[in-house]
Amino acid sequence: MPSVWRADELARPVDAVVATGHAALDAQLPAGGWPVGALVEVLQAQNNLNEWRLLLPALARCTGPVLLVGAPHRPFGPGLAAQGLDPQRLLCVTTQTTAQRLWACEQALRCADVTAVLAWLPQAGSGPVRPEQLRRLQMAASTHSKLLFVMRPLAAREESSPAALRVLVNGHDRLALHILKRRGPPLEQPLCLPARAARLAALLAVTRRQVAAPPVMREQDGDQDGDEEGHDTNHEAVVARITPFPGPGHALDRTAAAA
Amino acid sequence: MHWIALQPLPDSAWHDAAGHDDDGAALVDALAALGWWALQFTPRVAQVEGAVLLEVSASERLFGGRKPLLSQIYQQNKPVALVHYARAATSLIAIARLQLSGPAPRKPDDLPLTTLLAARPHLPTLTRIGCTTWGQLRALPRGGLVRRFGAGLVDALDRAYGAKPELYPWLELPAVFEARLELTARIDNAPALMFGARRLLAQLHAWLRSGQRGILALELGWELDARRQDAAQGQLVVRTAEPTLDMAHVQRLLAENLARVTLHAPALYLHLRSLETAALPGTTTSLLPDDVRVGDSLHHLLERLSARLGADHVLRAVPCADHRPERMQVWQPASRAASAFATNSIAARAYPARAGGQKDTPKQPKTDAKSDALYPTWLLTHPLKLSVRNNTPQCADDGGPLTLLAGPQRVEAGWWGVSEKDGACALRDYFLARSEQMGLLWVYQERLGGQGRAEGKTSAGADWYLHGLFA
Repeated sequence: MPSVWRADELARPVDAVVATGHAALDAQLPAGGWPVGALVEVLQAQNNLNEWRLLLPALARCTGPVLLVGAPHRPFGPGLAAQGLDPQRLLCVTTQTTAQRLWACEQALRCADVTAVLAWLPQAGSGPVRPEQLRRLQMAASTHSKLLFVMRPLAAREESSPAALRVLVNGHDRLALHILKRRGPPLEQPLCLPARAARLAALLAVTRRQVAAPPVMREQDGDQDGDEEGHDTNHEAVVARITPFPGPGHALDRTAAAA
Repeated sequence: MHWIALQPLPDSAWHDAAGHDDDGAALVDALAALGWWALQFTPRVAQVEGAVLLEVSASERLFGGRKPLLSQIYQQNKPVALVHYARAATSLIAIARLQLSGPAPRKPDDLPLTTLLAARPHLPTLTRIGCTTWGQLRALPRGGLVRRFGAGLVDALDRAYGAKPELYPWLELPAVFEARLELTARIDNAPALMFGARRLLAQLHAWLRSGQRGILALELGWELDARRQDAAQGQLVVRTAEPTLDMAHVQRLLAENLARVTLHAPALYLHLRSLETAALPGTTTSLLPDDVRVGDSLHHLLERLSARLGADHVLRAVPCADHRPERMQVWQPASRAASAFATNSIAARAYPARAGGQKDTPKQPKTDAKSDALYPTWLLTHPLKLSVRNNTPQCADDGGPLTLLAGPQRVEAGWWGVSEKDGACALRDYFLARSEQMGLLWVYQERLGGQGRAEGKTSAGADWYLHGLFA
């Protein structure tokens, strides 16, 4: 019965999505990608900047300007270009106060030309972000069908949020991605994504033999060719079967199988 | 000959049937605006006694006959919300009919003498001899009329009845828009000037539309109460990247700029002047309904953000051919660097130099395919100096030693720099380093003491800096 939605399936009515570039993550998201026209919250620790690894493949897939509001540092164009994102598409808005960041985000979402908005909303210092402010952004994104990613600190994990999708990222050598909220059944096991671009990972794999460092990646045999389109597919993510919460799995939970 | 006389009612708001009726502000000079608007129908437009006269017989064919033209003027393309109108074969009859409030008599002979401007100085005499209509005046002997009242009256009668040609100083669109407004109340704070500025902008809109031009730069000035301060004037220049007719956008820019202005004394007058305009390219609308995009354009967004946050806070990167990472891209104010994305608009195609601004920006350097994979995604604006313990650089906030994973990548550039503009000399070895807390970092070690000053610093004691983050 295709017209019946079962509770253990992912929700279907998503307008449009942009594939994340990570096959394992696509499999766990409704309609298989980042939702367009919905607020996506990315929670991460303060000194842990993983947003490019997570979002860059998707941003490289679409065209049009990308607005960065309140980025912690300046994005480095040549580094981003090496991973397929044209740095000329980036626009940086550097403001300190949260109110101005929220205002800039909303204005950008209303603009017809902007494709995606990335906003960094710190919790402390310049004033906390209230759920109704996020709700306003969510409404603006859905009205104008924009990709909207909001980067927030780990402390926001316990707060309620109007975001359609909330993910928590941690780890340096291996990205552990917890999907805190999605339109579908909860996912208890974290997904494991590669923390480095393929060529960088290959280079590190070579030097690892000399330096006594913990193994960071699945072995990648010297794949050093500069094929930009291919590297995401031939270096696909592995889903680790690690269970941080021992005990029987949730009844609605779906086995996190490798894509 | 077919004349139409139009007269706006006082305080009539500019109402544009072709859309853009968002600014219903009252006009500063409705008569002038009406005249500019009327120039789209005929070049023969004149301002006479508080009315605008149009001679339309020559342009009837262009609009498909008299009836379609009249319906254009009266209904479809109505300029001012409240306007009186009258039409006749000569201009004086049209003006006379305009002045009569009730139904005007059909024959010009029955028009009252009060409506003839040339007869006004002699009205008492004429009334006493029992002459009250145009027909009665015309029946009087011409020679006597000229001797008694002067040649002007007979001349006016001849023109009114079409016996002589009617010539007026025809209206021309001024090359530069300039309007002045006396404020009804003294205004102490700058944002409150917006109320007056809206009226001026409505006037400007009428001027721009009739010339089919878009505004690029305008100047709003105010005159202060001279008794209070020495500096009796102030002005504000607002620029926009693409010629625009959208007064709502200009209004927003003005309001953002006015919010930062403090008036030292109450303002009494406002004036608005156009500094730079450009011909407005037409807009192509799509046949398909799906292609209609909701929202404003990118340069509107950038200008609004820059107006409120400051131009230095809205940046975009321009790639530069240089080997020093901090100079591989130059951050420029996005509104000044113009949008490279505006390829959708016709303006971008018609004026590639202005829209793209790429004439003087160098192409992105083709980097080595092997090395650019080693570039980080975040770059610190100022390299962060790392403390060194046991010849090992330590993580920034005492997060333990760094493990160098790959390197060195040697950068030796900038030694030719003589001025401040060229930047400092860079003699560096870049490494990929790993920290337990911060993840993968991009650090460098200065060679030869850095900055090109070989002052005997040994390599072992050279400074380590954190320059980038891999994320």
